[in-house]
Amino acid sequence: MNSWIPLMLRHGYVLTFAILLAEAVGLPFPASIALVAAGAAIASHALGFPQVLLAAIYALLIGDSIQFWLGRKMGWSLLGFLCRLSLNPETCMLRSAESFYKRGKMTLIIAKFVPGVNTMAAPLAGSMKMRFHQFLLLDFAGSLLYTLTYLCVGFLSRDVLATVFNSFRVAGRAMEAVLLVAVIVYAVYRLVQFRKYRQYNVVPRIQVQELAARLASDQSHTVLIADVRSHGYYDVGAERIKGSIRIEPNNLDEETKSLAKNKEIYLYCT
Amino acid sequence: MLMERGFNTFVIVGGLTAWRKAGEPLESVPKDDLVKLPTFN
Repeated sequence: MNSWIPLMLRHGYVLTFAILLAEAVGLPFPASIALVAAGAAIASHALGFPQVLLAAIYALLIGDSIQFWLGRKMGWSLLGFLCRLSLNPETCMLRSAESFYKRGKMTLIIAKFVPGVNTMAAPLAGSMKMRFHQFLLLDFAGSLLYTLTYLCVGFLSRDVLATVFNSFRVAGRAMEAVLLVAVIVYAVYRLVQFRKYRQYNVVPRIQVQELAARLASDQSHTVLIADVRSHGYYDVGAERIKGSIRIEPNNLDEETKSLAKNKEIYLYCT
Repeated sequence: MLMERGFNTFVIVGGLTAWRKAGEPLESVPKDDLVKLPTFN
């Protein structure tokens, strides 16, 4: 934090704009710390409040709008990609979408204060076809609240920043420890999963040409091609292999009831 | 898991991408198979 203040004094407006824009497009930049430093610089009369506010709001609106249109263009595939890290991608997609649908407007206002949600809110709004002017209005409210909050913190705590910084360092160390434990737990979980399902690596594989030849032969009646992509990956206009059926991987008990055991089942995903 | 249940299962190498690249026939996903995730509009 101490090193941020001299930087802010020298390149304040450009730095505020650049860091906030970077964070708004999803890069891991410390926007809140930059705003606190800018608030301290305003208190020292080194920067002007209206200029900092304008730079911050413009940066956030531009970055979030880019994310919004990216979400609009990519549809559900962006959410699908983000949910791949979760334990159950299908549930993650459905719950995220439903939750955002119910609380989307409020979420957009407070999203910037919550890491992770901040990254997902704008593209989700785009994916879910929120009207752009509505998004812009809500995002403006959220950006204003976020910017003013951290500027105020910096402005009011200029004299105690060193103390706060020390607290941040202690909190930061605790956070690092928690994060490290979380990463280890996740790695162990993945390892257990890997060992559990390693036996399925022996599932026979078939090349596309080989399968196409089989479909063209008199053995085609024994072939069943099954799409095992998650439902959530589908957008209107999505394609699949001609003649294939869907098997929902998270609902195998039900799905297998209608499957014939005398058929060869050829599975595919994206 | 399908093999555990006694199904004769194979995996298509490269999935849909390889199928498309090979120029093999595709079809649109039927509307009934699309999950209606909520939208604002």
